[in-house]
Amino acid sequence: MNQWWIAIIAIIVAPIIGGFLAGIDRKITARLQGRYGPPIVQPFYDFFKLLGKSRIATSRMQFVWIYGYLVFMITCVVFLVLKLDLLLLIFLLGFAGISFVLGGFSSKSPYSHFGANRELMQILSYEPVLLLMALGVYAQNGSFMISEIVKPGAAPLLPSLWPIFIAVLLVLTIKLRKSPFDLSTSHHGHQELVKGIMTEFSGPYYALITLTEWYEIVLVLGLVALFWANPLWVGIIIALAAFVLELIIDNIAARMTVGWMVKFTWAVGLVLCVLNIAYLYLIKGGA
Amino acid sequence: MGIINTSRIKSPWIMHFDNSSCNGCDIEVLACLTPLYDVERFGIVNMGNPKHADVLVVTGPVNRRTARVLKNLYAQIPDPKMVIAVGTCACSGGVFHNCYNILGGVDKVIPVDVYVPGCAVKPEAIIDGVVLALQKLSKALGVAK
Amino acid sequence: MDLNWMMAVAILLPLVAGILVFIIRQYHIRGLIVILTAIALIINSILLMLHGPDTYTPTSHYWGLAITILDYAMLLFYIYAGLSLKNWLVLIFALTQIIPLAYWEFGMGASKALEEIKPAFVFDHLSIVMVLVISIVGSLITIFALRYMYDHEHHKEIEKSRQSRFLFWLVMFLGAMNGLVMANNLLWLYFFWEVTTLCCFELIAHDLTKEAINNGARALWMNSIGGTTMILAMIYLFAKGGGTAEMLTLESIIKAGGNQAMLLLPVALMCFTGFIKAAQFPFQTWLLGAMVAPTPVSALLHSSTMVKAGVYLVLRLAPAFAGSYLGIMVAICGAFTFFAASVLAIAQTTGKRVLAYSTIANLGLIIACAGINSPLAIAAAILLIIFHAVSKCLMFLCAGTIEHLVWSREIEDMEGLAEKFPVTTFITAIGILSMFLPPFGMLLGKWLALESVFAVPLAAILFVIASAATMVFWAKWLGRLLQVLPRLGRKFESLSLSYSVPLWLLVLGIFVVGIGVAPVYQRFVSFAVNNVVAATEAFAAGWNIVVPSASVAAGGTGALIGSFPVWPLYIVFGVAIVLPLIFVTVKPGELRPVYLCGEQVGGVDTDEWITTADQKAKLQLGGFYWQGATGEGAVNPWFYTVSIALLVILFAVVVGVSL
Repeated sequence: MNQWWIAIIAIIVAPIIGGFLAGIDRKITARLQGRYGPPIVQPFYDFFKLLGKSRIATSRMQFVWIYGYLVFMITCVVFLVLKLDLLLLIFLLGFAGISFVLGGFSSKSPYSHFGANRELMQILSYEPVLLLMALGVYAQNGSFMISEIVKPGAAPLLPSLWPIFIAVLLVLTIKLRKSPFDLSTSHHGHQELVKGIMTEFSGPYYALITLTEWYEIVLVLGLVALFWANPLWVGIIIALAAFVLELIIDNIAARMTVGWMVKFTWAVGLVLCVLNIAYLYLIKGGA
Repeated sequence: MGIINTSRIKSPWIMHFDNSSCNGCDIEVLACLTPLYDVERFGIVNMGNPKHADVLVVTGPVNRRTARVLKNLYAQIPDPKMVIAVGTCACSGGVFHNCYNILGGVDKVIPVDVYVPGCAVKPEAIIDGVVLALQKLSKALGVAK
Repeated sequence: MDLNWMMAVAILLPLVAGILVFIIRQYHIRGLIVILTAIALIINSILLMLHGPDTYTPTSHYWGLAITILDYAMLLFYIYAGLSLKNWLVLIFALTQIIPLAYWEFGMGASKALEEIKPAFVFDHLSIVMVLVISIVGSLITIFALRYMYDHEHHKEIEKSRQSRFLFWLVMFLGAMNGLVMANNLLWLYFFWEVTTLCCFELIAHDLTKEAINNGARALWMNSIGGTTMILAMIYLFAKGGGTAEMLTLESIIKAGGNQAMLLLPVALMCFTGFIKAAQFPFQTWLLGAMVAPTPVSALLHSSTMVKAGVYLVLRLAPAFAGSYLGIMVAICGAFTFFAASVLAIAQTTGKRVLAYSTIANLGLIIACAGINSPLAIAAAILLIIFHAVSKCLMFLCAGTIEHLVWSREIEDMEGLAEKFPVTTFITAIGILSMFLPPFGMLLGKWLALESVFAVPLAAILFVIASAATMVFWAKWLGRLLQVLPRLGRKFESLSLSYSVPLWLLVLGIFVVGIGVAPVYQRFVSFAVNNVVAATEAFAAGWNIVVPSASVAAGGTGALIGSFPVWPLYIVFGVAIVLPLIFVTVKPGELRPVYLCGEQVGGVDTDEWITTADQKAKLQLGGFYWQGATGEGAVNPWFYTVSIALLVILFAVVVGVSL
């Protein structure tokens, strides 16, 4: 029963944390731009306002896939807090991403297609890095279970997996949709792709996407925190520092092209992961 | 649903549409977003998409071509929605009134909630207009303000 | 039932039924025969499973004689085919088979020794898994083919029906495959191997267009190379065995294990044969060419037969290269194919070619698992064979159905299928999702493979890139199907029973086998794994798949390496996709046109917009294919170079060790 309670608490608490992080994001971004910025709770106002808007649709399937996006993202968070299989978590995260893409493809809208195709390229960029992160964890711990990472007495991963950590920071930029990788949807209006993959989602369904993004923030920061899971507060500080670093990168970088993103994440992220795993394999002498 | 009504007032997302303005008002609308005025303090965000907008900010007089587009965009904004006509031209047609290609103010095509006159409108006046629109909305929703 | 009869039904009944459908030219009677044969094969395979592992040798020596005669008859036919088609490659590789074979059997006197081999057939749990896959999935395809070929000829307005001929080869294929997976005698294995090659050639060339004949001939000569290397392997074994047939059975090769360096070369040659059959790079072109054939052929080749023979052989031989460099090279070759085919699939614009590349990729994955050769990897390989057969069969039958609905194979023509043919699209979507996403079986297999792949890190890196590319090309295709303009009041299309029964049965199969994977594994697949490699761990606990740490037996901590909660994930799938699919409704008043900067014309169901000078234009959207980056022209030279280099290294390593 204990496990159920942990899962339920995580499902309730994660979006609250995620919402506040999104609020902090807007506040810090505003301050970096010399503005006062909205209140920290602004994302919650936005969320509830969107819930109260009337529903408009371009097709039925786009709504179906958004539920898939939300439910699979929640499942990922549950996997994280229940300390289950890291590799499977990453595959489930893949389903969440694919659901979102399919939602974008489900209406005959040029902007949402642009966004969906770019989102696919983002998946192509970050998926190998995340999978290699799981393999790196295996190389270090001999297990894919998150419970093995956080169990008392386990050595922190960061000292031996720091190249993979850098690669995961790249993934974090993509997953949080920050510049230079805010390709599939733009956080600010007036851009050539309107709102990318989110263009055709409005009202309550846009609120669901926002909610999913909050879960996603918590999830990816949780993955970052795993790099120093003993004691966990160090990991959380590292994750929050990474989050602030992403905000600064967001504000000092311009958006790049999709092709550049794939090349860059593969050339930097993949190579770092590969070197890291090769090193671990060699010092451990296989298996 | 008190929290939703409160949130509606705290988070008006605007979409800005330019009919056939001289761009004077448009620049003032954008000025609202600058650090000096920073409308994001009030939760106002400028969206590029009617499907995400709550408030349609229209500048310039309606001409025969833009009337169709304006109607389409208005139809794509989910309820509840407000329309603010920004600038004298948007209110009444302004100096372009009675031109052969001009239909007149925005209210000739879609219902307008708030008129903000001025040529060009000052950013403070635009912010005032949005606040007025919010008050009108809250009155309609029955939320004490 | 007697074992005699079960063997006869499994191998000979398809042949007899094939001859019957060839003679009887009435659509309904022919259909009845095919359906009855299908049912008999399915029941027989289940009986075989209940019977359990056994060995069998036909009592009469005439069977051996018949097989020898048919062997030469087939090779002579290849020579004839090569001459009449003026295809010199077919001729050359037919000669390279027949001359060594004749020299060996009669010059070296092997034919006498071969007759003494006992048992001729060995079927263990691995064979039983294969027989079940072949009989059940393959039979469903033959049922599908009945109506499909009727529509096919109707659409092409062919006057003289050639359906009988088609069904003859199609049904016979199943018998040859059943024989192949049970054969122990290498010569008999070779015989069934050649029968599948022949069936494949005939079926690919069925439409008799220039392209079909050329592609059929390509399949023939490529697989003849495989036949040649198999003969070389047999001759080598015979010569090293001192002129006895002692080593000429699969059983003895496997029992000798990886201990004997002398065995590595023949095993490598036979793995090479398997590579060709499984269309691994650089031999992928024959399977791509096979796409010109009517879709039931592709379904059969890709899911339950032909290519599965290739992976079966490599998997079967896995104990013989355990712990050697050959195993690592096999793993790398397989992983490279998985990577290369997945990347190439992104650029494909034709549905069936995407499916073909995806098959090649998954076969590469299975072969890589066989190469990694740990209990976990072998479990992954066998589960992948089962799940891939079901899912890929479903995908091909869907592709065939769609082809007969829109009369095109191009993905771009499938745009908006969800609105026009919701039932077909629903089944196709299930098929596509089951190919690459959790909680479905294919992903379970891939997950197991990734959990085991760290033993060969190079393969691991190829795996993860391929895995990401897989997501891209499937999602892209499904996205094209889903792109719709909303139209309310749509109707469900009705499909012919010959289409819909196999389709729904396969959908059912995906869910039943998928949800019950842990019990199925425990009661059934684990024995097959043990036939290949001694697995000390059970990878299933209750309804879940778990991977315990390998050190448990050695007094380890008992910690898990990984776990896959099966039914909770199916519940998540149900909540995430199925419930919204049922309960989310859209009222007509809620529909709005898509955002086109306010320039759209009219209501929700038009896709016109106003362009310059008040002209109306139709909104057209197309898929991205990134052909500049992942197209065949862009990457094939690299892939060919690397894959050929890998094969050269493989043989260099083997020869180096053997000498």
